[in-house]
Amino acid sequence: MGIKTTHSYPRNTNKKCVLEVMIMSREITFAEAINEAIQEEMTRDDNVFLIGEDVGVWGNLFGVTKGLLEKFGPMRVLDTPISEAAITGCGVGAAMLGMRPIVEIMYIDFITIAMSQIVNHAAKLKYMSDGQIEIPIVIRTQQGVGLRNAAIHSQSLENWFVHVPGLIVVMPSSPYDAKGLLKSSIRCNNPVIFIEHKKLYRTKGEVPKEEYLIPLGKGEIKRPGKDITIIGTSWMVTKALKAAEILEKEYSIEVEIIDPRTLVPLDEDIILSSIKKTKKCLIVHEAPKTGGWGGEIAALIMEKALDYLDAPVLRLAGLDVPIPYGEVENLLIPNEKDIINTVLKLCNKMGIDFLEGIV
Amino acid sequence: MSKERLINFYRMMYKIRMFDEICIDLKLNDIIMDGFHPYQGQEAVAVGVCSALENTDYVLSTHRPQGHALAKGCEPRKVLAEMAGRLGGIGNGKGGPMNFCDWPNRFLCTSIVGDGIPLSTGLGLAIKAKKRKEIVVSFFGDGATNTGAFHEGLNLASIWNLPILFVCENNQYTEATPISKAVRIEKLSTRSMSYGIEGVTINGDDILNIYDTATKMVEKIRKGEGPILLEIITYRFRGHYMGDPENYRTKEEVEEWKKKDPIPKFRNYLLETQTCKEEEINTIEKNIREEMKGIKEWVLKQPIPTLEILTRNVY
Repeated sequence: MGIKTTHSYPRNTNKKCVLEVMIMSREITFAEAINEAIQEEMTRDDNVFLIGEDVGVWGNLFGVTKGLLEKFGPMRVLDTPISEAAITGCGVGAAMLGMRPIVEIMYIDFITIAMSQIVNHAAKLKYMSDGQIEIPIVIRTQQGVGLRNAAIHSQSLENWFVHVPGLIVVMPSSPYDAKGLLKSSIRCNNPVIFIEHKKLYRTKGEVPKEEYLIPLGKGEIKRPGKDITIIGTSWMVTKALKAAEILEKEYSIEVEIIDPRTLVPLDEDIILSSIKKTKKCLIVHEAPKTGGWGGEIAALIMEKALDYLDAPVLRLAGLDVPIPYGEVENLLIPNEKDIINTVLKLCNKMGIDFLEGIV
Repeated sequence: MSKERLINFYRMMYKIRMFDEICIDLKLNDIIMDGFHPYQGQEAVAVGVCSALENTDYVLSTHRPQGHALAKGCEPRKVLAEMAGRLGGIGNGKGGPMNFCDWPNRFLCTSIVGDGIPLSTGLGLAIKAKKRKEIVVSFFGDGATNTGAFHEGLNLASIWNLPILFVCENNQYTEATPISKAVRIEKLSTRSMSYGIEGVTINGDDILNIYDTATKMVEKIRKGEGPILLEIITYRFRGHYMGDPENYRTKEEVEEWKKKDPIPKFRNYLLETQTCKEEEINTIEKNIREEMKGIKEWVLKQPIPTLEILTRNVY
């Protein structure tokens, strides 16, 4: 028994296949899904190894890598000094010799220290050598609010990497996606920035026991709808799903939620097809609005689907402010209420005047 | 040491010097564009260290890589074509003078000062994990020893006992700032003490001593005795780059160092020890000059890469 498909799994929409439901019945957390992906890939391929601060004995700050040191030993699960540049550079160098390192950067905020190794080397070596070298490295990290830990432990920096040709950028929003995408990332011959969200680690979801992969560059319709498209990433997908339920129940608005899952490569088709159907679009991300990924998507829609639009594309994003300390961090990023209000305005009114009070 | 080996030392040092002369000519004619850093004066370092290696060993170099590349066995015409941004260069001209890679020859250079050091730890780790016997030589300049990458990288190499020879080529200047103004220590090799590894400083004008020292260190590293930091005191006769105003040093200082030029010094050694006759050396030199001229002509005939080549191998 087993599911043959290696593609995205349309579980939000399907009530049709009893077999699938049986297989999908196991629920695990996002953290466990990541752990399973690493275990499976390390078992499958001796070249895969894990390197990072406290990934071994501690099992990572959130328990994500628990048990891996015991299973694979200290030559394949390497606890390192606090040296992000060296950890990352070491991963890049090992990848040059055919290893498949999974480098963990504890907080994305600390990736600042490793930027040269990522941007100048991991992303460029294949190009500058005209294909002599490939860098099959995965840099796993986590970002976002959730620990009430202030401005330099809570940032959302995905767009820095989107802007660098040569990098693949992955942002899963569910345990299922996290596992399938991480396994594909480890098998990918290009450097992958794999960005987890600290708020998602304990969330549970259906993950089959059977092996599956999710191809990089393939988005998913997380909820089908006909009235408006919401494009969201990571934790914002969870928020959008909650908002969509209320919008359907209270206002009979059918929201279609698109999760591109990988920002690079981007599944343009899934976005454009949805826009052509709903004719309205809201982009939601946690990172600050200015210079954010949402602007890129809005521009893409303008370039390729302008004629289909009944309203301007809107963005809901983090305020252009550093994240403050404490529970108040949530005031600075989009929530379900913001999503509902913006959707209502987009759906009820046309023209430019309705923008007042939103942006 | 065999006569052949001694002559090969001379041949390679002279070739690197003449290669540099061609580069200078092409730079002044804007055929080689930015990013070329002359190597003249430091040749004994590249030849002495690389001669101590096996072909299968790895060399990571810097923004001043052409000497290391030739000494590691990269084909001069492919290096020159790369520096001129031409098809037929090692990376089809896409990397340029300080970012090229000759992976079949196990050679890579990178232009971010210090960044090759963490990369070398990865090569060392992979070699160790695969239980292979190669070693890695990581070249860098005096300036790199003040980067975080140097300290993070040496520490990692040390705690994991990685097979890396760190070669600090101290040419006295971190671009335009004298190293004496950038550190408060006499010998950069003493920084090895912070990482519990061996550190040695030697002069860069004596190729035989460089070769001997490197050979012994390579042997130790290959046996698994861990990384070593070797500082070699040298001097670049030309500016940091072609067109450098060189207002940070005096002509007298440069002339003083030129008296220690490793190439004539070794030439004299070969004559004094009667290893070879002057005519023999003259012939070697003439042949190299002709070879370099031929390479230059070949490179000038190479086209620039097409847009198709310039946009490929991003992923």
